[in-house]
Amino acid sequence: MTDAREPSGEANAARSPSEDASQTSSVIGALASALAVVGGLTALAVAILATLSVLGRWLFSTPIEGDFEFVKMGAAITVFMYLPYTQWRRGNIVVDTFTGWMSPRVRRLTDAFWDLVYAAFAGFMTWTLFHGATDAIRSGETTMQRQIPLWPSIALADALAAFLCIVTLVTAWLMLRDRSADRS
Amino acid sequence: MTGTMTAAVGFGAMLLMIAFRAPIGLSMLIVGAVGYTHLSSYNALFGYMKTNAYHQFANYTLSVIPLFILMGALAERAGIARALFASAERAFSRLNGGLAMAVIGACTAFGAICGSSVATTATFGRAALPELRKFRYDPGLSTGTIAVGGTLGILIPPSVILVVYAITTEQNIAKLFQAALIPGLLAALSYCIVIAIVVRRNPALAPRTEPIVVEVKPQPLWPKLLGVALLTAIAIQIYRNQLGLAFGAALAALSLLVMFIDVSVMPAIMVAIIVVGGIYGGVFTPTEGAAVGAIAMLVIGVVSRALGRKEIFEALRQTAETSGMIFIILLGAEIFGAFLALSHLPDTAAQFVGNSGLSPYAILISILAFYILLGAVMDELAMILLTLPVFFPVVQALDFGMLPDEVAIWFGILVLIVVGIGLTAPPIGLNVFVISSLARDIPLVSTYRGVLPFLAADILRLALVVAFPAISLWLVRLLN
Repeated sequence: MTDAREPSGEANAARSPSEDASQTSSVIGALASALAVVGGLTALAVAILATLSVLGRWLFSTPIEGDFEFVKMGAAITVFMYLPYTQWRRGNIVVDTFTGWMSPRVRRLTDAFWDLVYAAFAGFMTWTLFHGATDAIRSGETTMQRQIPLWPSIALADALAAFLCIVTLVTAWLMLRDRSADRS
Repeated sequence: MTGTMTAAVGFGAMLLMIAFRAPIGLSMLIVGAVGYTHLSSYNALFGYMKTNAYHQFANYTLSVIPLFILMGALAERAGIARALFASAERAFSRLNGGLAMAVIGACTAFGAICGSSVATTATFGRAALPELRKFRYDPGLSTGTIAVGGTLGILIPPSVILVVYAITTEQNIAKLFQAALIPGLLAALSYCIVIAIVVRRNPALAPRTEPIVVEVKPQPLWPKLLGVALLTAIAIQIYRNQLGLAFGAALAALSLLVMFIDVSVMPAIMVAIIVVGGIYGGVFTPTEGAAVGAIAMLVIGVVSRALGRKEIFEALRQTAETSGMIFIILLGAEIFGAFLALSHLPDTAAQFVGNSGLSPYAILISILAFYILLGAVMDELAMILLTLPVFFPVVQALDFGMLPDEVAIWFGILVLIVVGIGLTAPPIGLNVFVISSLARDIPLVSTYRGVLPFLAADILRLALVVAFPAISLWLVRLLN
């Protein structure tokens, strides 16, 4: 697996007059990659917790109380940490069976267009999650067993959705700018 | 415009988007959201998203997916595949085409650790392909065998595809894993038979390997001690009524296996047995099983020094990318499914098919044929998520003389087999692409030619499981 900090387009940064902008985009990429690792570590932590709970239940008949609440919360947060990285790596599934006729340029512009659509959706999700979080603050909703307030994790998911929106905008911008493959 | 019409327009729009390179998950999200708004209101969509964008992911069952992917990603790097292959190589070395059969054997064992076909293919592309080349196996047979062996990653439980099926159709993951075992082993067996036939017809494809000198290493004592300890623990648990007698007996048989198996592959086999066995026996939930498996893989890899910080981070990033890809499609499927439910298309379709007077088997076979065609040109995961909201109610409405739950599980296994076919069949077979990217000098066409005889076996197995549902359901009935 190659280093995530060198996605498509980054290699041509030297040709671009907007050096600052490309630096910003590589910072965004590094951040997405770091978030992916943090998400992975969170998943590992959740796995350790679940394993301990299983061992506790099997050996001493005392599971960790409310373990599944942490698992649920961890799952939601990790997913939101994963989404920007998947987008940055262009890991989302695309069917390219029917677009062989497109010129590289048209294909590139199409991909940039869908990135912008994705950005719009991520923006919409950020907006709805913001309301979800404020609702949770107002209602004081907590988990059943451990009474953990829900709003911090919804708010964190919201922040991560906002970051997803930024990442999609950056990938769209990189796609629009990268003309290197057009001639081939 | 009726709901059914709206849904049809939605489907059309979505296929158009997908054909124009829109990511599949995004297409479902957009069409689902627009359709939902059209059939109810923007406020309803807003309210739906407000709660579901978070709670869809904060889902205990769903958390099994990243954990199984993490387990597979760690297993991929923990050097397990190499040990499994070496052990299988010794076992099969006397047979014609033994090296190819060893790939299938090792993939079967690896499939019980890894729930992803792509990961299995990539792993054995690295672990087994150099060996196959060294012994001058036919390139197409080599890559074809690995591509097909890779499907055992999902055919043998645990299986990410089955988890996705279980979540979408609200079925029991453990039961689906139980139902997959015998068809999965049948697949492995049939692949070995295919290799035997192919090599018999053209011995030049698989030159006989020199009988490998089996190193007579004295087997250490600790597996015997561990086996005895396990047997004792099982006896105690049975005595304390913590374990059923039948399940205890199964565990005891496995402990005996531990005492007499090749030591190099023992950790991997143990993890597979604990995870799959634990889920079968209801000792833990699938999520907990995946968690235990991931941690066990991590420990094995770190202890054997195969996993350093670099490899672990790589595994974490790979988990992120794959999980992110699956989850955006899952969210898309959720919203698209909500839109379809509003349109009443699934009910209408189920009623229509139910009243059509066609035989249930004719309908089932048409659906499976449709899946094989669609799977040839489309990503399999997206394919089942896209179609299940409509096809599943249809299948549930058919009368096969079984309980609806049993039909649901049986259908899940059929879908799994069809997905396996789609992963290797031309023109778009994901596994074939994966192995080709690892062996760029072997033409894609050769790999597809190598895959073809296995596809015949797949179709035969599909027909068998359609004709005899008991192949998948027998174990489920036995264990519940």
